[in-house]
Amino acid sequence: MRNILLALCLSLCLVLPATASAADTAFSVPLPLTGGQAKFGEIIKKSMEIAAEEINAKGGVKGGKLVLRFEDSQGKPEIARSIAEKIIDVQKQPLLFGEYTSACAKAVAAVAEERKTPYVVVASAADEITQQNYKYVYRINPTNAYYASGLLSFMDKVVKPKTMVILYESSDFGTSGAEEMAKSAEKAGIKVLMKEKYEKGAVDFKPILSQVKAQNPDVIYMVSYVMDAALLMRQIKELRIDARLFAGGAAGFAIPEFIDNAKDAAEFVVTATLWSPQVSYPGAREFAEKYKAAHGDYPSYHGALAYSAVYVVKDAVERAKALTNEDINTAMKGVDMMTAFGQVKFESRDGYQNQNFIDTLALQVLHGKHETIWPERYASAKPVFPIPKWRERK
Amino acid sequence: MKNNLAPLIVLAVLAALPLLGLNSYVMHILILSIMWTLAGMAWNLLGGYCGQVSFGHAAFFGMGAYSAGLIHLHLGASPWWGFLASLPVVALVALGMGSVVLRLRGPYFVLATLAIGEVLRITCENLTDFTKGTLGIMITRTWVEKTQYYYIILGLAALAFIVCRVIVHSRWGYYFVAIREDQDAAESLGIDTTRYKTIALTVSAMLTGLAGAFYTNYMGYIDPGVVFSLGEISILIIMVVMVGGVATEWGPALGAGIMVILAEYIRSLPLIGVAYQTMFGVLLIVIIIYLPNGLVGDWPVLKRKLLRRGAPA
Repeated sequence: MRNILLALCLSLCLVLPATASAADTAFSVPLPLTGGQAKFGEIIKKSMEIAAEEINAKGGVKGGKLVLRFEDSQGKPEIARSIAEKIIDVQKQPLLFGEYTSACAKAVAAVAEERKTPYVVVASAADEITQQNYKYVYRINPTNAYYASGLLSFMDKVVKPKTMVILYESSDFGTSGAEEMAKSAEKAGIKVLMKEKYEKGAVDFKPILSQVKAQNPDVIYMVSYVMDAALLMRQIKELRIDARLFAGGAAGFAIPEFIDNAKDAAEFVVTATLWSPQVSYPGAREFAEKYKAAHGDYPSYHGALAYSAVYVVKDAVERAKALTNEDINTAMKGVDMMTAFGQVKFESRDGYQNQNFIDTLALQVLHGKHETIWPERYASAKPVFPIPKWRERK
Repeated sequence: MKNNLAPLIVLAVLAALPLLGLNSYVMHILILSIMWTLAGMAWNLLGGYCGQVSFGHAAFFGMGAYSAGLIHLHLGASPWWGFLASLPVVALVALGMGSVVLRLRGPYFVLATLAIGEVLRITCENLTDFTKGTLGIMITRTWVEKTQYYYIILGLAALAFIVCRVIVHSRWGYYFVAIREDQDAAESLGIDTTRYKTIALTVSAMLTGLAGAFYTNYMGYIDPGVVFSLGEISILIIMVVMVGGVATEWGPALGAGIMVILAEYIRSLPLIGVAYQTMFGVLLIVIIIYLPNGLVGDWPVLKRKLLRRGAPA
């Protein structure tokens, strides 16, 4: 027993940190790689690795290689904070990027602002992150308030619903997504019959769905992460709830796993999203194909965000006079570039600071695949509407 | 007098640590360890000495955290007043809760505390107008420097240490242990068990609430999923005590050190770092199987085993 312990201790000490050579630019990235949000952390990590590989193949950053290291925050704010503190203090890194959940991004953003270190938020949606008058926090993804704008315009032009039911998971993302949708729906003259929250990770939605069925709404709008999204649609199918439109608010509905898990119940579901593999931004399709070749599935918008974030960071680092916090912060403000995620430019307006604004899209599942259906100028397929009733499907 | 020497030395060493000019990352880890020590000592009073295992201490932690957050949100007061505000709030809830769940024993009591933690989380998520629900509460932190936070949490932990020591060595402490060892025997000796269990619960809850109020002030952001978390607060508090040593004075401190510092160390190792949760799980199982009383509680056993193995065959 004692020998084993000794051997274990020795092996712990022997594994020394793999150091990058002096000319290389190394960045540590906090991400949730274990726990409930690991799925998204994983997509972000893989996409960032693809970007780094491409950059290194083309000569790297400032003559050295771009090295990315990933640190697991488990989706817990205090661990995310530990990692951010370590990156700033121990690794003396002049900028931060990464994290996925809004709670963790808030923790990291607070550290970044206090320590005057620029932080690029990659995929966290809570509106408040860029509403704090922070001077060092930048966000590439549109905020929750804008997630559904593409979907809303689709509903406005095509579906023209009168009533809606909103189901959402109990999280920051779910709540703010549902609130925004309720507000927008009211503005568009759609009556919200029911706005119901469910426990994240629940397995039986039938009690809620029975109520939904009784209300007989035109649109069922759901904000969920991975498993819940698929379960909701399967149980909607089992209960034969025939709404005119099933709509999802990005996240769990916009990733390929949704179709894998929900199978034929996913067909015709429309979801808001920030990006799709078929969208016509330069480099988007190439990135999507590369990702698919490496990992077997198309990436979600999280992937495109992460992939583009690395390019944004590279751009800022190369334009900065020196690798100091202040110089990189100045360079960040000057970012104005086309990426696989679309135009990235940090603006301060509508109560936001250093926020990127971009058109959002609507996808529909057609023949077991996500297709871009809205706005029409980015569309890869024609929307199917009205959708067939459950018993008319084979 | 000799008994007071060790804590004073430890306190002096800890108080001198920031003078070494440690970087803010190390300070962060130290602050987290001391915060969990505080919560662990609080739990230990109820779970260790009085033998009433609670799976719901996140309820008190969260209430402390929300006292600080809400006082800032609704009254515009400094969240530091949360320390004062949390005491009566947490005490009242603990008294109310005690009068119900402390009538239950063994697994029933455990399940009841588990439920209360979850009930509070769900309540907090749904009182959207009052607590901002799952959007959480963000506050602006008072200091960028860690030193002030460090001394505040150190002071609170020292206070908790004194409270626990005084109680454990008083008549109450003996009642607690008597209740833990045999509730019926304690009752037959004339100890009002429900009353003393409620006292243990209330004191324990108030100390945990202080840790929660500190969390809000230190982290600057809370939401119900974080501060009322079953896995990350309630269970972590129990693990801190179990690993360190149940019903020992120094157990929670050692346990918190292991849970925070060792976890952080293993996590940052390259290659094997990715599997740190697995390794940590194995480590915990080993400790629980071979040292059921925790590292401090089973220290004599550990020492004897190591010495015997170390001796020439």
